[in-house]
Amino acid sequence: MTERDMLLDRVADILKEPVAIDPELDRRVLNGILAGPAPRAAPPAVLAWFTRRRTVSVSPLGGLALAAGIAGLALLGRPAWQLAERSTAPQAATVAASAELAPSVVQFVIVAPSAATVSLVGDFNDWNVAATPMRPAPGDGIWSVTVPLEPGRYRYAFLVDGQTWLADPSAPRAFDDDFGPPNSVVTVRGS
Amino acid sequence: MGIHDVTGESDGDFVRRVLDGDTAAYAGLVTRYRDRLGRYAMRMLGNQADAEEALQDAFVRGYRSLRRCTDPERFGAWLFGILVNRCRTLGGRRARRQRTVIHDEVALSRASVGDEGEEFALRETIQWAVAQLSAPNREAFLLKHVEELSYDEMTELTGVSVSALKMRVMRAREELQRLLSEAVRD
Repeated sequence: MTERDMLLDRVADILKEPVAIDPELDRRVLNGILAGPAPRAAPPAVLAWFTRRRTVSVSPLGGLALAAGIAGLALLGRPAWQLAERSTAPQAATVAASAELAPSVVQFVIVAPSAATVSLVGDFNDWNVAATPMRPAPGDGIWSVTVPLEPGRYRYAFLVDGQTWLADPSAPRAFDDDFGPPNSVVTVRGS
Repeated sequence: MGIHDVTGESDGDFVRRVLDGDTAAYAGLVTRYRDRLGRYAMRMLGNQADAEEALQDAFVRGYRSLRRCTDPERFGAWLFGILVNRCRTLGGRRARRQRTVIHDEVALSRASVGDEGEEFALRETIQWAVAQLSAPNREAFLLKHVEELSYDEMTELTGVSVSALKMRVMRAREELQRLLSEAVRD
């Protein structure tokens, strides 16, 4: 071990020493928690919304857009990061609703041929991993799900096989996020 | 990062209790992680008031977003990610207001005699040197050499690539050695 290594080890040892934290901090945290809302519960079933389809225009990934008023938002493959690199450059993920303040049906699409399960998680389902499972199309590894969204800005991501958390490589990133790996953003506009 | 303590309750047990409506169960998670996360915040931000603000903010944000913790057994790692971001935000805000100065010349001059004084001076100098690092380099150094995380874990926490993190750690080590060598010569 060099003299430099010994010096830096000494630095690390000193920095590892415990620090004094105000014992009142625990109480302040609990007061802060009690002063605000509880972790939000999963939203109620939204099946009825699916009957109120609206015409939407979509970018990005026009090639993946489906006919029923859809935004295709992601490409993923095996391994995920390699296909992500091949995907198109991020574009504006904006959906325009034809009826003001009415939900738009937005389809999220991901190509994951090796995945056993894929879930869509986002602000619209309280990041509940069980709320919005995606369905695979037979044989081609394309997973999709449609979600009714009111006009607004939503952060979202895909959860592959219950453990791999992926942002959408084809959509803008949510840089204002605090929670680990970056997420993506879709904006649904009113007409 | 995930813990089972002597009570046998894992992070996941606590998280599930909280999500089932037992708000007080969150206190168990606060107690479990306050010291380790508090140390990181203190080393990163350089003063107790900011460290405790970041820590408190991280705990409250963690509670509000608990449903986004996709692996409750690794609640600690998830919360650590929130704290890293809070420290970045708070540190950036502070840097625009004023530069944090930990190096205390008066304290150093008072502590100039004897082994105890030398040890005190060494600690002060090390804290001063760490504070001189750029925030990204300081963050990478602390996560690697103080929190002893792997580069993969660091990438998961920070969203920064392994190669960039390695570069930051290397630069931090070089800068620390230069600063401390100069301090010793002075």
